[in-house]
Amino acid sequence: MSNADANAPRPPQQGSRRGSYRLLFISIAALFTSVAVMQMASAAQDPALDPAVAAEKWSNLWTTVGIWVAALLTLGIFSFLYKDNPVYKVCESIFVGASAAYYMVNAFWTSLVPKLIAPIAPAFTKANLLPELTLPASDQAYYSDLALAVVPLILGIMLLFRLLPKGGWISVWPLAFVIGTTAGIRLLAAIETDVLAQVSSAGSSVIVYNETTDAAGVVTRTIDWAGVGKGVLSVICVLTVLTYFFFSVEHKGAVGKTARVGIWFLMITFGASFGLTVMGRITLLSQRFEFLLKDWLGFG
Amino acid sequence: MSQDSNDGLFARLGRIDRRWIFLAMALAIIAPILMRLRFEEEPQRMAQATFDTIEALPAGSKVLMSLDYDPSSEGELQPMANALIHHCASRGHKIVFMTLWPFGTPLLDKTVKRILLEYHPQLKYGTDYVTLGYKPGLEGVVKLMSSDIPKQFTTDKQGTPIGEVPLLAGVKDLSGFQLVVSVSAGYPGAKEWVQFGNGPTPDAFAVIGGTTAVQAAQLLPYFPKQMEGMLLGIKGAAEYELLVQKAYMPERFPERLEDGRIRMGSQVFAHMLMIALIVLGNIVMAAGRARGGAK
Amino acid sequence: MLQRTVPIAILSLSGIIMILAYFSPWTESWGNTVIDWFNIIAGVAFILGAGNLLRVNLEKISSQRPGWAYAAITIVSFMAVLVVGLFKIGAVPSDRFPDVHFAGDIDSADSTLGWIYFYVIGPLGATMFSLLAFYVASAAFRAFRAKNLESILLLGTAFIILLSATAAGVWLTKPIPADSPIAFLKFERLRAFITEVVQSSGMRAIGIGTAIGIAALSIRLILGIDRSYLSKGGGDA
Repeated sequence: MSNADANAPRPPQQGSRRGSYRLLFISIAALFTSVAVMQMASAAQDPALDPAVAAEKWSNLWTTVGIWVAALLTLGIFSFLYKDNPVYKVCESIFVGASAAYYMVNAFWTSLVPKLIAPIAPAFTKANLLPELTLPASDQAYYSDLALAVVPLILGIMLLFRLLPKGGWISVWPLAFVIGTTAGIRLLAAIETDVLAQVSSAGSSVIVYNETTDAAGVVTRTIDWAGVGKGVLSVICVLTVLTYFFFSVEHKGAVGKTARVGIWFLMITFGASFGLTVMGRITLLSQRFEFLLKDWLGFG
Repeated sequence: MSQDSNDGLFARLGRIDRRWIFLAMALAIIAPILMRLRFEEEPQRMAQATFDTIEALPAGSKVLMSLDYDPSSEGELQPMANALIHHCASRGHKIVFMTLWPFGTPLLDKTVKRILLEYHPQLKYGTDYVTLGYKPGLEGVVKLMSSDIPKQFTTDKQGTPIGEVPLLAGVKDLSGFQLVVSVSAGYPGAKEWVQFGNGPTPDAFAVIGGTTAVQAAQLLPYFPKQMEGMLLGIKGAAEYELLVQKAYMPERFPERLEDGRIRMGSQVFAHMLMIALIVLGNIVMAAGRARGGAK
Repeated sequence: MLQRTVPIAILSLSGIIMILAYFSPWTESWGNTVIDWFNIIAGVAFILGAGNLLRVNLEKISSQRPGWAYAAITIVSFMAVLVVGLFKIGAVPSDRFPDVHFAGDIDSADSTLGWIYFYVIGPLGATMFSLLAFYVASAAFRAFRAKNLESILLLGTAFIILLSATAAGVWLTKPIPADSPIAFLKFERLRAFITEVVQSSGMRAIGIGTAIGIAALSIRLILGIDRSYLSKGGGDA
């Protein structure tokens, strides 16, 4: 398209269509607002009420406002399904800002105040922030707690250097600490519960017994052949799938055939996972529609 | 226009605007809600194992319940959390609530008020139930609790020192509980409770995990050896709800224990639609191949 | 040395302490201390994230880039929630310490922050996730093709799981008697077999492989062989 075309005035139909969309949007917003005001008015009417009842009415008012806000935000997000639009972008921006702030508030009150500010200034913290705090019993205890808090304080300040244009390399020290701690925790947990325990579970499910107790109280154990079959199949499944993921050996001959069987088991696994995923996503969607239909509009 | 008139139905279907599919999905979910469709569930092995695990505990056992989810997963997990809480309270078990998710605390607060206190108003805070709240640290919290709970939680959520809470008297670590229940939407959650809580002392307490259907595959290997009970997604929740309601029907607000089964109504229509879409898509592909071969 | 040797030493030391803490009761308290420090640094990381968010969005506003109005909305919502939360505006007073304002509970469903959580953040997050159901349906129509044996296995299993998860599937195979030789074809039994035997075993194998990979990577990091995290330092956050 040439510059002349780009600078040419828009045809009059496009301008009037935008105007009518704007008018439609304003009308719908006005309609919703007036219905909301009427609902709020009915929730807060009759000022000559018992204070406890008035408080409950006030609480109901805020609940009504909240439900309307939630419903409009929900519809704003759903509008993305039709087309990307400014309403969706506004809702998205609100979500990003509000949730980031919520995380930060949570981190401040649950981590920084009790674990950083409290050891450094215990008397101030107890008087103003955390009255349930136990003060250090002695100066020695105070200095001991302070010494333990200084290290994460310094590392935390170093982490904030990441925001600076220069000197960001300083933040690698606390990052290394975080990575090292995580590596140490995960190494042992992975080996214990995801390797040893899983191999044990797979192996122990092969021989399965049926136990029956007769009238005399004698317990008889018989082999549950169906259970044994399932156990053997489980072991075959685990071994063939592991063979498929073992890429250090070329998948040829017997190894190739075994890996192929492993792929079939993997396809069944992923098919089942897909089915479960669909179920999960549909549940989330049905919960949103339940909110809109029952809590907001009062149907059902 | 001329291309459309020459193309067959399947070719046009293959080019359908996806917004029609979105509309079909929306209608498939809205219709059962408006029609109030409900279907009977038949409890399967995992839901039954979960029920039996809680039933087998002596009355008055201490249960640690970790509600590790946020509003994004509330639809799937809230029904099972409600049923688990009501079941434990009906059996007379003492419940200690906590969460590993920062976004989980208000939900935890609302659930305790809406289910535990509405269904069991006679319960006393401190002796029958306690809320520890949220602790940051992901799996580190579970790891520390497996050795020293009072160091991790110096006070409960109300600010009472742990030593002064009657329910937690003498509870030094996780082995002080007879059951740990984790209703989780991901990380950290039930997997971490098994790895870091149950791993060091496998027989100290039973573990029940409730999870979203998306996460279910990750937890399946742990059942039944490392996890005595498991509830998978909304179907597991619906089955378990049925078992709990049959045994312990609440006198007030019974509908709060039916959310799982209500949401299963939408599942029927939506799953039929998914199957129809997959079949239709393959028919379109086959028709396209046949047309290409004929040309 | 400051940019390479010291971080490697810090990583190795913290990893070794966590391993020692697992095996020895005398070093268990070291591990607890390290985890406490980890939690504090994680808390500071949230401040870092918030700071980065402000920096990026303020840059957008000051340079008047397209979409700068949305950046302004992000900052306004961020500041509003931050002020309400940090100053505990509208918090439910504590029962034990009613005179101490900052002892109030902001997580309660009755607080102002609780209102924001239940009526702003919660619905937005839940609705964002629920959009996936629509896209899964669209993807099922456009992308799921039974072209070979593997894809037929995948789709066939998906059909069984989808049908058996609902009353429709149970109804379809209801005529099959429970004690007949073909009772295994009942959808609920097929589902149980697939999830408890095949899917469980497949995920078990994937879990074992992943765990071995995690263990290998952790050892490489602790021994200083893998140093990829060092390149993440620098001026740009």
